[in-house]
Amino acid sequence: MKSRFGRRATAPLALLAVSALALTACSGGGDSGSGKLNGVTLNVAADWSGAEQKNFEQVLDKFSKDTGAKVNYTSYGSDVATTLGTKIQGGDPPDVAVIPQPGLLQDLAAKGNLIPLSDAVSETVHKNYSQDWIDLGSADGKEYGVWFKGANKSTVWYNTKVYDDAGATVPKTWDDFLKQLALISDSGTPGLSVGADVGWPLTDWFENVYLRTAGPDKYDQLSKHEIPWTDPSVIEALTVLSGLWSDSSLLQPGGAQRTFGDSVTAVFGDPPEAGTVYEGDFVAGNITSDTKAKVGEDAKFYDFPSINGSKNAVVGGGNVAVQLKDNKGAAALMEYLATPEAASIWVKLGGFTSPNKNVDTADYPDDTSRQIAEALVGAESFRFDMSDLAPSAFGGTKGSGEWQILIDFYSNPSDVQGTAQKLEDAAAAAWAK
Amino acid sequence: MTDQVTTTVPATGRSARSPRSRGGRKTVTAFLFLLPALILLGALIGYPVLYTAWRSLYDATGDGFLGLGNYVKMFTDPATFQSIRNNVVWVIVAPVTCTILGLIFAVLMNRIKWATAFKLIIFMPMAISMVAAGVIFRTAFQENPNLGAANAVIVGVHDLFDGGSEYPGARPRENAGIELKDDAIVGSGAVKPGGSQDFPLVGVKADSIPSTAETAKAAADAGGGEVTGTVWLDFVRGGGGEPGQLGDGKKGLPDVTVNAIDSSGAVVSTAKTAADGTYVLSDLKSGSYTIGLPSSNFTESFTGISWLGPGLVTGVIILAYIWIWAGFAMVMISSGLSALDPSLQEAARLDGANEWQVFRRITAPLLAPVLVVVFITLIINVLKIFDLVYVIPPGSSLPSASVIAVQMWTVSFGGGNDQGLGSALAILLLILVLPFMIINVRRFRRERDR
Amino acid sequence: MSAPGIVKPKRTLGGRIVGFFGRGVVNVVLAVVALFWLVPSIGLFISSLRDSKDIGQSGWWTVFTRPAQLTLENYAGLLGNAQFLGSFWNTIAITVPTTALVVIIGSLAGYAFAWITFPGRDWLLIVVIVLLAVPLQVSLIPIAKLFGSIGIFGSLVGVIIFHTAFGLPFAIFLLRNFFIQIPGELLEAARLDGASEFRIFTRIVLPLGGPAIASLAIFQFLWTWNDMLVALIFTNAGSQPVTVAIQSQLRQFGANVDVLSAGAFLSMIVPLIVFFAFQRYFVTALLQGSTK
Repeated sequence: MKSRFGRRATAPLALLAVSALALTACSGGGDSGSGKLNGVTLNVAADWSGAEQKNFEQVLDKFSKDTGAKVNYTSYGSDVATTLGTKIQGGDPPDVAVIPQPGLLQDLAAKGNLIPLSDAVSETVHKNYSQDWIDLGSADGKEYGVWFKGANKSTVWYNTKVYDDAGATVPKTWDDFLKQLALISDSGTPGLSVGADVGWPLTDWFENVYLRTAGPDKYDQLSKHEIPWTDPSVIEALTVLSGLWSDSSLLQPGGAQRTFGDSVTAVFGDPPEAGTVYEGDFVAGNITSDTKAKVGEDAKFYDFPSINGSKNAVVGGGNVAVQLKDNKGAAALMEYLATPEAASIWVKLGGFTSPNKNVDTADYPDDTSRQIAEALVGAESFRFDMSDLAPSAFGGTKGSGEWQILIDFYSNPSDVQGTAQKLEDAAAAAWAK
Repeated sequence: MTDQVTTTVPATGRSARSPRSRGGRKTVTAFLFLLPALILLGALIGYPVLYTAWRSLYDATGDGFLGLGNYVKMFTDPATFQSIRNNVVWVIVAPVTCTILGLIFAVLMNRIKWATAFKLIIFMPMAISMVAAGVIFRTAFQENPNLGAANAVIVGVHDLFDGGSEYPGARPRENAGIELKDDAIVGSGAVKPGGSQDFPLVGVKADSIPSTAETAKAAADAGGGEVTGTVWLDFVRGGGGEPGQLGDGKKGLPDVTVNAIDSSGAVVSTAKTAADGTYVLSDLKSGSYTIGLPSSNFTESFTGISWLGPGLVTGVIILAYIWIWAGFAMVMISSGLSALDPSLQEAARLDGANEWQVFRRITAPLLAPVLVVVFITLIINVLKIFDLVYVIPPGSSLPSASVIAVQMWTVSFGGGNDQGLGSALAILLLILVLPFMIINVRRFRRERDR
Repeated sequence: MSAPGIVKPKRTLGGRIVGFFGRGVVNVVLAVVALFWLVPSIGLFISSLRDSKDIGQSGWWTVFTRPAQLTLENYAGLLGNAQFLGSFWNTIAITVPTTALVVIIGSLAGYAFAWITFPGRDWLLIVVIVLLAVPLQVSLIPIAKLFGSIGIFGSLVGVIIFHTAFGLPFAIFLLRNFFIQIPGELLEAARLDGASEFRIFTRIVLPLGGPAIASLAIFQFLWTWNDMLVALIFTNAGSQPVTVAIQSQLRQFGANVDVLSAGAFLSMIVPLIVFFAFQRYFVTALLQGSTK
């Protein structure tokens, strides 16, 4: 009974290997449909997965039906920059990618990896988007991007019952905001839950405060690092934040180690461990999937409070579609994504805000999402999330840059000067490259 | 050794080959055996290593030649030293523990009937992907005792002995003549017998208040040698009422311990509040006292240990690693044990050696080659550990838990895009492996000469 | 062999300790160890049976007091997903060839390092083992470029080659150390009989290396099966393995414990089957050794 492993297993294994290789050759092959792109296969990539992926695939399905093209979607998870970068190096990028950072768009455009918008697409874009969004999709004077998805990052979410029990009201100003949080804390539940996560929620806090204390012009300058992070305007914003984050009576303890998801379940769980949580409109998605609270009834939101009389301002985010391969199909897909019809498909499914100004807001499935969309499209001061505009070494990396420095600041909010200096050092290093 | 044999013993019936050409043929044969491996290794690992070494001499864009600039930057960055330090801790603790555990398990396993089940249980963590394993440990060791198993156990045990306080989280109302001192709530001013001290408190959850509590009343005037007062929840829904003043239906807090503390700090008299929050401290001699509510009334419930905080997080990650890789050691050693010829051990036993001696003198030395493979593989594995260290620590602990591979990722790929610096870190990793390898050269030589 | 008769074991301290570990104690000790080892896996398994709303609220141990929250939804969701099921075949198409190649190429090289003398052997061995320390990430970009220029970037062949190469240092190290233990006389005798090295390899070395090859196969299969990074970058939509398919089920901002845990258990099934199939070879060889 000698072990004949070496001999006996090799043959079937080899057979399996060969057949596996043969099988892969047979994959692909388009669906037949009537249309001008019959037989064309397009590859699309984005960072959407799970429910968002299903919804986006419905958007792509209509395109398939209308044109006869076959569209394959791949999710790159959260490491879009790396994955896309490597695929480009390997010579096999997707036809269209929907990326979450304008900074990445700038990077790719500078390296010559993107195809500029064709005239037809550009016309559609100009018809459907405000100048702010068109600018965000351009690099070096050329247009590259179609902003398919938008995000309103100035929404503060609260547990209606906790607010009710404390008798707290929706604040419009920062001072009132602090007062309401104190009131809730006095009633026995901490007023605010913060989840430092890997740092990005804290950058959103900073950007909202800064936009309101320093104004849109300075915001633009800081985004491009034309003023340093040691500028008095930054010190002012950090000081305002410090006023909130150093008051432990207002906060749920443990924020430094808490993930963003946990901060949402802390507020909307049963029993609630805090009354308020701030982040963008995607909080609604977390509430729906991870808690039993209902958006619009148990969970509502209010706009990020104004500071020192600042105008109605929104810090936003989004995902922009870019074209990586020069072919008819890709260009047609880009044009489709710029139309309000494409956006409406996902709008109706929920969990989606479109920056397309021609989308009928009646299409939004409930008051809350409509409110979010209207706030985004109608803001007097609209600016894109600053950390997404920065080089990702500074504004988008776990473990370094703005993300890590702000985590340290959250744990030690009295060190305003030191934090500003650290931010400046990191920014200088990142922009220098 | 083999060469000597072929020269002295004439080949039977086959054409005699001279030693030199035999040796030459050997080299050709060896070459053929090694060819597929060398091609793959050279192209897919060797070439990238050279590429990385070359790349490490350039800056982030790949165009500017920096020479050793990246290495200087690397060594002057405190984050790099922290990661190297962490890697050293890993190397000292993890491989040894895994190997020893694997050895113990593999050996003891032979004595039980349910060995296959045991093997499966210890091996299963290896089959779970690193990410899922990271999520398990992150969840189990998180601070919140409602969600994290470790703290749930600790808090559970702790609460068996220490029930917790009446009104966790209570704080004094600001500007109401009372303050927080060393976790106790005390009156800001001194009180003499015949005086009073009220305690308007906030931050008490509505469901902490017992149903026996009544509306707070002002305490009766104190008699001789007495101090009276009221302890109440100074909160009205909607922020109404006067802060610090009774009225508006504010509830008194019963069963709060109140102490009278004299000037030397000793507790002279104690009382408990009634259902309406009033208390009477009696038998006070003349003098001035501070009236205080000890912290035992208000301590927040014990929430466990901060396992994932900067101090302990590396320990937790190493624990996760051992949970996974002890299975590797066990399976490897078990396969090594099964390849041994049992007759040697039998002979020793018949000669009168006990189990321990059999193990030490016979089994262990015969297992040496397998143990070497396991140990060295674990050391190298631990030097390049990435997944667990990237997934388990929360953002605030990542700097203190970071290891070289994580630094490399952050710098090159995580948006840092400084491939030059990242490459330098990768080369550093390779350099760190060399000492272990050099130690082993002698061992390989010794084996060759057997 | 000594004279028959009852011989008392030596009463050294070590001897006494080991003697103490009679069967009963061993059983208890290992049972306790097994229990501790199982707890995290049990936690993960129970989490896979809970809805994400419950996972965010309370720990998995609460199912013992509230069993009503158990649900098979997470599994149903994954198993009902055609892309997820399809990815299993892709994973097999990647993992099986890789394992076979690593075993074959690794044992050829391992034998050469163990029993064929050639100049520079020890130093070459050191180099091969040092390659074990090269992290995958380092190869991503250079190999992506290389494959791109050959035209296999994005195909299964590329992934298989990548994994095979990275599995070789460990395979060579392990098999070389196993083959070294084969009695030199056996090989000598065969050589004297005029057998070629290849003959010796297939007829003598491979069969004797059974346990080592079995354990190598188990681990190589496992590591390739569970890889995500290489798969994500080097495959495309049609050829995604399970790890990438699970990734695409994750919600963007949630903790996703429900999907990850169910995915982990579904994904674990195949490697465990492989483990069972191959670990017989250890036991078999044990018996076989005594009848050699």
